[in-house]
Amino acid sequence: MASGPSLRRIDGRRLRSARTKQAILDAYLALLREGTQIPTAAQIAERAGCSVRSVFERFSDLHALRVAATDYAFLQGTAKATEQDFTGDRQTRLKKHVGGRAWICERWLPLWRSLNVNQGESSDLRSRIFLIRQAILKRIELMYRPELSTLPETERRQTLVAIESLIDFECWARMREDSGLPVEEAVEVWLTAIDRLLPPTPVS
Amino acid sequence: MTANNAEAAGGAAERRTLRIDGRRLRSERTKQLIIEAYLALAEENSPHVPTAAEIAQRAGYSVRSIFERFVDIRALQVAATDYALVQAAALAPLRDGDGDRRTRIRSQVEVRARTCERWLPLWRSLVVNQHESEELKRRVTISRERTVARLEQMYAPELSTLSDLERRQTLIVLEALTDVDSWERMRKHFDLSFDEASAVWRQAIDRLLPPTPPPNPA
Repeated sequence: MASGPSLRRIDGRRLRSARTKQAILDAYLALLREGTQIPTAAQIAERAGCSVRSVFERFSDLHALRVAATDYAFLQGTAKATEQDFTGDRQTRLKKHVGGRAWICERWLPLWRSLNVNQGESSDLRSRIFLIRQAILKRIELMYRPELSTLPETERRQTLVAIESLIDFECWARMREDSGLPVEEAVEVWLTAIDRLLPPTPVS
Repeated sequence: MTANNAEAAGGAAERRTLRIDGRRLRSERTKQLIIEAYLALAEENSPHVPTAAEIAQRAGYSVRSIFERFVDIRALQVAATDYALVQAAALAPLRDGDGDRRTRIRSQVEVRARTCERWLPLWRSLVVNQHESEELKRRVTISRERTVARLEQMYAPELSTLSDLERRQTLIVLEALTDVDSWERMRKHFDLSFDEASAVWRQAIDRLLPPTPPPNPA
C-alpha cells in the first residue's frame, strides 16, 4: 500500500501530467485561432512548452488531440450556454441567445473549420459535429419556446431549421470576414433576422 | 514565283494551318475531358482533391497530358471551378422577375434549390479547400456575389423600401439562409426532402423581406 509521501508524489505527477495535457490542448486551439491551418506536433509542443514526446504520451496521434480539443471546446460552449437561462421577454431572450452564439462563433470558428475539413477521415469528428448541431438546435428550441409553441408542427420545424441556418459558424464568418462587419453589427443582423423569423410572442 | 508555285505554296500553308488548328482542337478537347474527369471525381469524393493519377486514369490520358495543359493541380482546380460556375449560371436563368411576391419567392427558391442540389459536392470541395488558394477563395466570393446579385434582382421591390444599411443587412441574411451549406444541412442533417427544404426557404424569405410596396400607378 502506498504511504503518504508516495501518494503525494503520485498525485503530484498526475496533476502535472493533467496540466501538461491542458497546455497542449490550449496550444493547439491557440494555433488554430491564429490561422495555422494544420498545427504540427512540433508547433504544438513548442507553444505548450513541452516536448513532442510529451504530446504523444498524452495523445495517441494528432487526430486524437483534435477530438479531445473538440470535446473541450464543446464543454466550454455548453458551460457558457448554461450560464444563461431561458427566461425573460422576447428581446431579452433574443439578446441572450444571439450574444451567446456570437461569443461561441467568434471563439471557436477556427476549430469548427478544422473539424469540417477533417470530418471525412473520422466518425469521431462526424459524431461531434452532429452533437454540436443538435445542441445548437436544442438551445433555439428552449430559448424561443413561447413563440414556437404557437406554431403547428411543420411550421415550427421550418422556423427552427431557418434560425439554425442563419446562426451557423460560416454565416458569422461571412459577416465578420467577407462583409467586414464589427461584432456589434453582426449581432444586430442576427437579432433583427431572428426577430422577423419568429412569430409574435403569445400574451402570458 | 509562278502562279502554280504560288498556288502550291498557298495550299501547303493552308494544310499547315489546318493541321495546327486540328492539333489545337484536339488539345482543347483533351483539356475539356480532363476538366470533366476532375469534376466527376471531385463530386464523387468531395472534399478530397483528386490526384493527377486519379484524374488521368478517369480521363483516359497520361499524367503528362494533364501537366502539358495545367501548370499544377491547383490550376486545374481553378479551371474546373470556372467551368462549373459558367454551367451553373447557364442552368439557372432568372425567371418570373416581374411576378408578384409569392411567384418571385417560389421561382427564386426553386432555381436556387436546384442549383444547390446539383453543385453541392463540388461546392463542398471548393469551400473546404479554398483556404489553400487565393484563386479558389476568389471563386467562392464570385459565386456568393452572383447569388446576392440574383437576390437583389428578384426582390428589388421589397429591398427598395429599405435604408442602405437595412438593405445590406437583409441581403447578408438572405444569402446566408440560401447558401449551399444551408441546403446541405437541411437535406443531410435534418433529412428534409427537396420539397420540405424548399418550403423552409420560402417561408423564411417571406418573413425576412419587408412588405411589398404597391405597384406604381401607370
